[in-house]
Amino acid sequence: MLRLRAWLTCLLLLPCCLYARGAAGPEAKPTEYEVEAAYLFNFGKFVAWPAAAQPADSRFLICVLGTDPFGPVLDRTISGETVRGRPVQTMRITRPQDAAGCSILYISGSESGRLSKILSVIQGAPVLTVSDLPDFVEQGGMIQFVLHDGRVRFEVNLAPAQRNGLAMSSELLKVAVQVVRGGGSH
Amino acid sequence: MPDLRHSPISRKLIVMNILVSAVALMVACGTFLAYDQYAFRQSLVRNLSTEAQIVGSNSISALTFNDPQSAEQTLSAFSNLPHIITAAIFSADGHLFAQYARNPTERLAIPGDAGGKATATFRKGEVIVRQPILFEGKRLGYVFIRSDVTEAGQRLVQYGGIAAMVLLLSLLPALLLSAIFRRSVAEPIVDLADTARLVSLERNYSVRATPTGRRDEIDVLIDAFNNMLAQIQQRDAALQTARAELERRVDDRTRELTAANRELEAFSYSVSHDLRGPLEVINGFSYILSAEHGPELNAAARECVQQIETASQRMAELIDDLLNLSRVTTTSMHEERVDLSRIAKEISDQLCRQEPSRRVEFTIHDCEPIEGDARLLRIVMENLLRNAWKYTSRHQQAHIEVGCEHRLGRRVFYVRDDGAGFDPAYANRLFKPFQRLHSAVEFQGTGIGLATVQRIIARHGGEIWAVGAVEQGATFYFAL
Repeated sequence: MLRLRAWLTCLLLLPCCLYARGAAGPEAKPTEYEVEAAYLFNFGKFVAWPAAAQPADSRFLICVLGTDPFGPVLDRTISGETVRGRPVQTMRITRPQDAAGCSILYISGSESGRLSKILSVIQGAPVLTVSDLPDFVEQGGMIQFVLHDGRVRFEVNLAPAQRNGLAMSSELLKVAVQVVRGGGSH
Repeated sequence: MPDLRHSPISRKLIVMNILVSAVALMVACGTFLAYDQYAFRQSLVRNLSTEAQIVGSNSISALTFNDPQSAEQTLSAFSNLPHIITAAIFSADGHLFAQYARNPTERLAIPGDAGGKATATFRKGEVIVRQPILFEGKRLGYVFIRSDVTEAGQRLVQYGGIAAMVLLLSLLPALLLSAIFRRSVAEPIVDLADTARLVSLERNYSVRATPTGRRDEIDVLIDAFNNMLAQIQQRDAALQTARAELERRVDDRTRELTAANRELEAFSYSVSHDLRGPLEVINGFSYILSAEHGPELNAAARECVQQIETASQRMAELIDDLLNLSRVTTTSMHEERVDLSRIAKEISDQLCRQEPSRRVEFTIHDCEPIEGDARLLRIVMENLLRNAWKYTSRHQQAHIEVGCEHRLGRRVFYVRDDGAGFDPAYANRLFKPFQRLHSAVEFQGTGIGLATVQRIIARHGGEIWAVGAVEQGATFYFAL
């Protein structure tokens, strides 16, 4: 437990340390995926799902569609965490139809070819879509990780989120690199 | 300011009133100021904590998604609050995440402790508020706000000024009130003190202090003082009566004694006078017996008649002296200028004629005439010179001197001889009637002469004393 907490703290705050000190050893710098894994589960705290979408088993499910780029990092990050009182769990899926019970769906880079098909399957379901894919938000995705000055940031598209009944907190929008309103109408 | 301890009560009261009201006001103002400072600081801390909480909750996403720019934007809102010197957000592990400074040159003072609680620390002129940022039960970091508290100082100066003004304004009513107190407290005491001074200066115990009519201690004091005066007056009166009574009694006694004395003198005079008649008869018949029947008598009878004649002559002398003594005190005095030197010469000539066989040298100095009764002073000189003549009779050669000298500012006359003298131990008995230092066998005398002399000198308001020693002669001094 202690180890985990230390890990989490590192994950969340190492970038801050770097920022504060201006320099740090290469071994202390978290990888891009580690940061993304932490952000992925933190998004859950700034997005409101419709009450009807609460699954009966009361889990907070983070699904990875396609080839999992995180490896063990994601499971390590969310282990023991809760979002709004619900324990966080992960699930690897291959078909977009399986994403029905997920709260957050991470679309892997391997799915670039069928992105628009996936998004049209998801459309209307209360699922927060997140991806690394370029132009993800322009094509109708909700949150897209981008590298900004060597740091992991994200862009947000409000329109699909609103269509799917998700409410993004203004706090989240405040720290987004870019907030898109529209596009990717399917 | 003069020493208050010696100033009048009214001034003491005024100073006391002003001091008391000033101290009370100062304590009240001080308490008020202290409370105001406390309340001001409390509200400052409350406001800063609220601001820190707002900033903290607005920085949650920035901390979560590692966006310091966003956090700094949030902090930059402090530019509207000029009292905030610096503000900063620290991550949970104590690293600076974002900061704001009112003045770019101002440096952020990083607080030492990193505990989990919200704190507020006052340093000189500033306060540092530390507020943890909590989200979903986790501590994400801290907000620090460093604010100056110069406004507290400004308030202190402002309120202090108001307090000083209130103090000055309250001086006027305090003075008015103390004037009222003075009338009711100081004036009766001042009045009492004036009365006491009057009493002790003029010894006039008939004055009274005016009672105030209020039933307080001052009134009790005034009552007691008046009672004391009344008692002193009573005692004075009693003393006066007693003294008058005593004087009256002394007068009565003196009058009685004088009367008794006069009766006694009259009695002794009449007795002496009446004794003369029978004595003349004894004298006369003893003379006839010796003159006409002398040859018929035998030697023993003639001796007896001789003794009778001697004794009756001596008795006649005694009676004369007694009569002289009583006359001296009863006869009236006629003041005139008397030349004692001339009188002494006359008496000495008379003495030389009476006993030409004696070899006595007289030295009589010339003295200024004095005021006195000529007849009585002649008796004085006669007694003194006859005494000197008598007590030098056993010496072959004698010297008697009469003169005067100045002693202690008065004229003193003296009669000096070089005769038998006297024992100085008995000098006080010299002038008492019938007291003799020598036996009748040695020197004849009645013991009345010097007593007569002393009475005459006393009647002139003078004094007489004698100096001498056995066989060294005697000197009689007298001053009128």
